[in-house]
Amino acid sequence: MTRVVEKRTVDMRVIGEWVEPQSRVLDLGCGRGELMDYLVQAKQVQATGVDLDFGRIVSCVQRGLSVYQGDMTGFMRAFPDRHFDRVICSRTAHELDDPAGVILEALRVGSALTVGFVNLGFWKNRLGALVRGRKLRNAVYTTAWHESRPANHLTIADFEAFCREKSIRVVRRAHLLGDWRTPCPVLPNLLAGYALYDLARP
Amino acid sequence: MTDDVQAPPESDKRPRHLAGDDVGIVRPREFTHPGPFAFMSGQTIQGFTLRYETYGALNATRDNAVLICHALSGDHHCAGWHSESDAKPGWWNNLIGPGKAVDTRRFFVVCANVLGGCQGSTGPSSADPATSRPYGINFPFVTIRDMVRSQKLLLDHLGVAELHAVLGGSMGGMTSMMFAMEYPHFTRRQIIMASTANESAQAIAFNEVGRQAIMQDPAWNHGDYPRDGGPRVGLAIARMMAHITYLSDAGMDRKFGRRKRDSAGGESYTFDAQFEVESYLRHQGESFINRFDANSYLYITRAIDQFDAASVAGSLEQAFAPVAAESLVVGFTSDWLFPPEQNREIALALLRAGRRASYAELSTDLGHDSFLLESEALYALVRGFLERSEGYVFDFTI
Repeated sequence: MTRVVEKRTVDMRVIGEWVEPQSRVLDLGCGRGELMDYLVQAKQVQATGVDLDFGRIVSCVQRGLSVYQGDMTGFMRAFPDRHFDRVICSRTAHELDDPAGVILEALRVGSALTVGFVNLGFWKNRLGALVRGRKLRNAVYTTAWHESRPANHLTIADFEAFCREKSIRVVRRAHLLGDWRTPCPVLPNLLAGYALYDLARP
Repeated sequence: MTDDVQAPPESDKRPRHLAGDDVGIVRPREFTHPGPFAFMSGQTIQGFTLRYETYGALNATRDNAVLICHALSGDHHCAGWHSESDAKPGWWNNLIGPGKAVDTRRFFVVCANVLGGCQGSTGPSSADPATSRPYGINFPFVTIRDMVRSQKLLLDHLGVAELHAVLGGSMGGMTSMMFAMEYPHFTRRQIIMASTANESAQAIAFNEVGRQAIMQDPAWNHGDYPRDGGPRVGLAIARMMAHITYLSDAGMDRKFGRRKRDSAGGESYTFDAQFEVESYLRHQGESFINRFDANSYLYITRAIDQFDAASVAGSLEQAFAPVAAESLVVGFTSDWLFPPEQNREIALALLRAGRRASYAELSTDLGHDSFLLESEALYALVRGFLERSEGYVFDFTI
């Protein structure tokens, strides 16, 4: 298995542990449905995904998943408070038009919110910017700026500050080193390549 | 539904009944329910007939049936050809056939002309056994639920134990929805395309103009007209207007633009058809009156207008609560008759009710008729939904 594919399973490993069996899960930016498919089979969750791309919707339908093509905020607004046990926003936060709006809305429709993101503050990313002086490129973000979607990368320090500012309760954190597997013991904003947060309303 | 969405180029119009991907020559059949049938309105008729077609074979467990539901002006002939000299195949021939998105090698496909229709099923143009004259407007008012209940009797007659899926566009989507609500444990999947849980005022308004065009035609005569007569002008105008609502501004512009008929050369100062779009609509109106009954048009548009999935239960969520089928709802960006928003709402209400539902949206410029689109993307979606194997375990080896 290649390093990238292995990294992609980080959400399955960590979120798979956090998700309650048989719970009702919403995956924002669900892509081709790999994570939902895993959670349905490993945790028997009732999963729904949201994505913008028709091709990815077809992939989810082929897997037998419930999926909705459209804007995630518009989708969430159609649901009552705490309709979902958990909302997942995995490697999507940096591409959102209105990250704070989406996160707060997700905390309304979900009893819990899991956010996973690549840490721009990771030393290799800092060094890459310092030495190469170029846009962030790594095993996950492989494309040049002109081939990439607009992205608004964030760091662990940014995210911690955001949660404090909005009085969002951080229930659990998983900071992982550059291999996205080994827990990061100290200085996560510098040493962690990937971060997962389990959030709840204040 | 229009007759010629994405009409294939001339060279492809030859009957292809010998081609491997078609169901070939098909024969309509008739199912007669001998007993009395009570309509939602409380009115009763002494038996009815549904004309239908089937393709493929029912399996040993009798659970591979796919019911196709047609739109307002559609019929039971949804795939294949009636004869070698047919100019056109069934209306959903692009979707249904061996190896196609609705694969007749796997599924037993059933499609019936609706109750109240005029293509062989009992409707206002049928003879009332009491008088031996056409029912006319003495025919009971028909609802989408009446259509569904009559088709369930057909499926029972055919020995279908469980529907693998029910699918349709426009009114056919309403029929599917009603099937999943009325017979939840009979219906495993449903696909609703370009439809709505209840029509908007605008859609009702268009239907009302169509009905008025028919009823204001003196030849309508309160629904009492001979088989070959009737409100031909009114029905043609109703059809011309409705036809516009099935297309889109961009689609019409692409198809006709401001192009003029060749014969219109210098005669600009007359009211003869000058623009291609005019002669096209006139042709649509003309061909419609030769195949459709004006009273059926009144009855079926009334059924569509009255359809409100939420009405009985109080809310869509409550109405959908008993649904056991997995649902796929498909909207089309250029459909302004039953726009994407109304299709989204069906999927959202199903999800709020805790049901399994998906929503997908295709970008097209063909308007409401987009569900008849020849599109590999649509085929992949439909096939993926119908054919995914249950209990398939994905390998997540980490």
